[in-house]
Amino acid sequence: MYDPHRLGLEATRCRSLAAFRALGVFLLLLFIPSQARAEKLAEVRARGALRWCGDQEGGGPYIYPLESDPSQVIGFEVELAAKLAAYLSLEPQFIQGQWDKLGDLVRVQKCDVVLNGYELTPERSEAFEASIPYYVYGLQLLVRAAGPVTTWAALKSNPGGSKAKIGVLTGSAAGTKMAEFCGADNAFCELVAYDGGTDALREVETGRLTATLQDTPTASFYAARFPGLRPVDAPVGRGYYGLYVAKGETVFRDALNEALIHLVRNGELEAVLRRYRLWDAAQSELRTIAEMGRFYGLESAVRAPVEKSDGAAVGLVHTEARKHGLQVFRACGRILLQSAGLTILLAFLSFPLAMLLGLLVAVGRLYGPRWLRFPLAAYVELLRGTPLMLQLYFMFFVLPEVGISMPAFSTGVLGLAINYSAYESEIYRAGLQAIPAGQLEAALSLGMSRAQAVRRIIVPQAFRMVIPPIVNDFIALFKDTSVVSVVTLVELTKRFSILSMSTQATLELMVMTAALYLLMSYPMALLAQRLERRLEAAS
Amino acid sequence: MMLIDNLFKSFGRLEVLKGIGFSVAPGSVEAIIGPSGGGKSTFLRCLNGLEPFQSGRVTMGAHTLTPDTDARRDAALLQSVRKKVGFVFQQFNLFPHLTVMENLIEAPILVYNESVETARARAKTLLERVGMATKEDARPRQLSGGEQQRVAIARALMMRPDAVLFDEPTSALDPVMAGEVLKVMAELATAGQTMLVVTHSMNFALTVATRVHVFAGGKDVESGSPEQVFGAPEHETTKAFLRQAGAV
Repeated sequence: MYDPHRLGLEATRCRSLAAFRALGVFLLLLFIPSQARAEKLAEVRARGALRWCGDQEGGGPYIYPLESDPSQVIGFEVELAAKLAAYLSLEPQFIQGQWDKLGDLVRVQKCDVVLNGYELTPERSEAFEASIPYYVYGLQLLVRAAGPVTTWAALKSNPGGSKAKIGVLTGSAAGTKMAEFCGADNAFCELVAYDGGTDALREVETGRLTATLQDTPTASFYAARFPGLRPVDAPVGRGYYGLYVAKGETVFRDALNEALIHLVRNGELEAVLRRYRLWDAAQSELRTIAEMGRFYGLESAVRAPVEKSDGAAVGLVHTEARKHGLQVFRACGRILLQSAGLTILLAFLSFPLAMLLGLLVAVGRLYGPRWLRFPLAAYVELLRGTPLMLQLYFMFFVLPEVGISMPAFSTGVLGLAINYSAYESEIYRAGLQAIPAGQLEAALSLGMSRAQAVRRIIVPQAFRMVIPPIVNDFIALFKDTSVVSVVTLVELTKRFSILSMSTQATLELMVMTAALYLLMSYPMALLAQRLERRLEAAS
Repeated sequence: MMLIDNLFKSFGRLEVLKGIGFSVAPGSVEAIIGPSGGGKSTFLRCLNGLEPFQSGRVTMGAHTLTPDTDARRDAALLQSVRKKVGFVFQQFNLFPHLTVMENLIEAPILVYNESVETARARAKTLLERVGMATKEDARPRQLSGGEQQRVAIARALMMRPDAVLFDEPTSALDPVMAGEVLKVMAELATAGQTMLVVTHSMNFALTVATRVHVFAGGKDVESGSPEQVFGAPEHETTKAFLRQAGAV
C-alpha cells in the first residue's frame, strides 16, 4: 500500500529499492527470445536516415518548436536523436506523431524508433524491443506558491473544505501513482486527466487545480515559465525513459544500445541533459546501466576506449519569456499559415473526391443493379456509423499489416474522402429521390437509356437542389481535417496545440487559428451562395 | 402496325387490365375514353414499357413486349420500342433545367448521335409546327401549361416515332389552353401520325379519332367508329358514361 505519510526521508530508500526491482523485470524481458529482424539495421543504413518519432505537442524539454523558427524542433530528445544518428553515420529525420500512437508508427514501419519520454514498462517491453534507459525520471508534485497546500499529507486534509483536485497527464506513470494515492473512487482527492503537460501547470497556477504531479523534466523545464508554482518535497518514484523499436528488430536495437552506451561513456548525453537542466543526482545511474551493457552482449561497446567529450560544460538552453499579443503573431503567424495551407490542400483534394464517390454510391443505390444495393448501404452505414479517427487509424496502422501501406498525406486525403462520401451519398440520394418520377419516365420514353437519363436529366436537377447541404458539409470537412493529425500530419489545429503548449500564448493563438478557419470557410459559403443564385436564375 | 394482344395487368390484388387487345393500323387515331379508374392510363403505359404486365403481348414492328420483359435485362429492347413510340404526359414532364430547344434536341443527340446543327434545325421546324417558334430559349417554368404541352409534343416528335401515345394531354389545362393543344393534335392526325389518345375531350374523340374505345373496369367494353360509339352506343356502361360526360 502506498502511504503518503512516509514520503519524507524514507521515500528515498523505497525509491531505489523499487527502481532496482523495476530494472530487474526490465532486464528479464530483454532476454525473452524474439524473432530477429536482422535486416532492419541494413534497411536503415541503406536509407541513410534514422526516422525517429515523437510528439512535439508534449512540449519542452523533450521535443518542441524552436521559438525563432517554429517549423524546426528542439529539445533534449532532438539532440539525443541527432547524436544517436551521428554515431550510426545516419541523418536524423523527425517524424511527428500523436504521442499515444508512436508505438503504432514503429510497428507499421512508418518510423524506426520511438524517442519521446516513453517509460520502460514490462508491457511495452513485451510488445516492442526496448533499449537501455537514456534518462532516469522522478515524479514531482507541484502546488500553487500562494496556496495552502505545502505537503503531500495536506492534499488529503481538505484545507479548503473540498477535495483537492490533482492534474495528471493521461496515461502517464504520474496518473497511476496519483490514482493509488487518492484511493478507490477518489476517496481522498480528485484526479483530473489532461492530454498536454502544461495545461495542468496552468490550471494549478490559476488555482483551479490544487496540485499536479509531473515527470521531473517537465517540472524543472517549466519552472521558469510558471513562477507561481512551487515544488513539494523531492521527486517521488523513479522510472526510466527508453527507446523502442519494432518487435524482433534486436540487431537494430543493439546498435542503438551501443550508441547510447557510447554517449553515456563519453559524457555527451550528460552534456545534453545538463544543457536542459535535466542532469541531477539520479542520472548517475545511467553510468551504471551503461557499464551493465555487457549483459546485453555489448561487451565491446562497454570496453571500447572513449574520448571524453568536452561538451559537458555547455551552458543552459535559454528559454524565452512568455510572448504576448503581436509578438505571438510575428513569431507564429508564418507557421500557422503554412499549416492552414495543409488544411486547405487536404480539404480541396478530399472533398471533390468525396462528392464523386458519394454520387456514385447514391446513383448505385437508387438505379444500380439490385445486388449492389446492400453492399452500398452497408458502406454508408459503416462509414458514418464509426468515427473518422478510427477509420484513419485503420488505414494507416492496420492496413500495412496486410501489405497496403500509403503515405500519411494520401491516407489523410483518401480517409477524409471516403468518410465524407457516405454523408454526401445520403444528400444526393435525398436530392435524387426528390426529382419527380415523371422526369425519368419522360427521359426513358424518349428512348434514352437508364444511364443516359440519370446522367443527363436526373443528376443535374438533383445537383442544384443539394448545393446548400453539400457546401455545409464542405465547411464541416474543413474543420474535420484536424482529425488527420492521427496519421502524423500537422494541420492547423494540431499546429495550434503544439504552439500553444510551447508558447503558452493560448488566447492569441486561438484567435489566430479561429480567424484562419473563418477566412477559409466563409469565402466558401459566399461562393456557394453565388453558385446557388446563378443556378436558380438558370432554371 | 401495333398489335396489342390480350393484356392483363394487376397491382397486387387489384386487377387493372382484364384482357385488352386490338390492333392499330398506321395513320390511325385511336381515342380511349371512359370513367376514371378504368385502366386507360395504365394501358397506355404498358404499351411503351413504363409498366410491366402479367399476361399478353405488345408487338411494335419487329419488337415484342411480353410479361417476361425485364426493365434491366431487356433495356435494349425497351429502348428500341420507345424510340418507335412517343409518349406525351398529362403533366408534360419537360426537363426544367433545360431550355425549350435543349428539351427537344437532348434525346436525338444522345440516342441517335444526331449533330447539334441537324437537331436544332429539325427542332425549329417542329416548334414552328406547334406554334412555339418564338420560345426556343425559354425555360419550361416560364411557359403556360398549354405551351409546355405543345413543347412536349414537339419533343416526342423529334424522335420520329411511328406512334405517339397521349395520356390525358389536356386534363391539367384550362379550356383555352386545352383547345390550343387539341388543335396541334388534330393537325398531327391530319398529317397521318399514328396516335393513341387517352382523353376526356369527347369533342376530340368525335371529330379527330378514327376509332373510339370505351374502357371500363379494365375492359375495352365497346369500340368502333366515333359515329357508332357516340351515335348508337350498345353497351350500358358506354351509355351511362356518355350521359355523365354530357356527350349525348
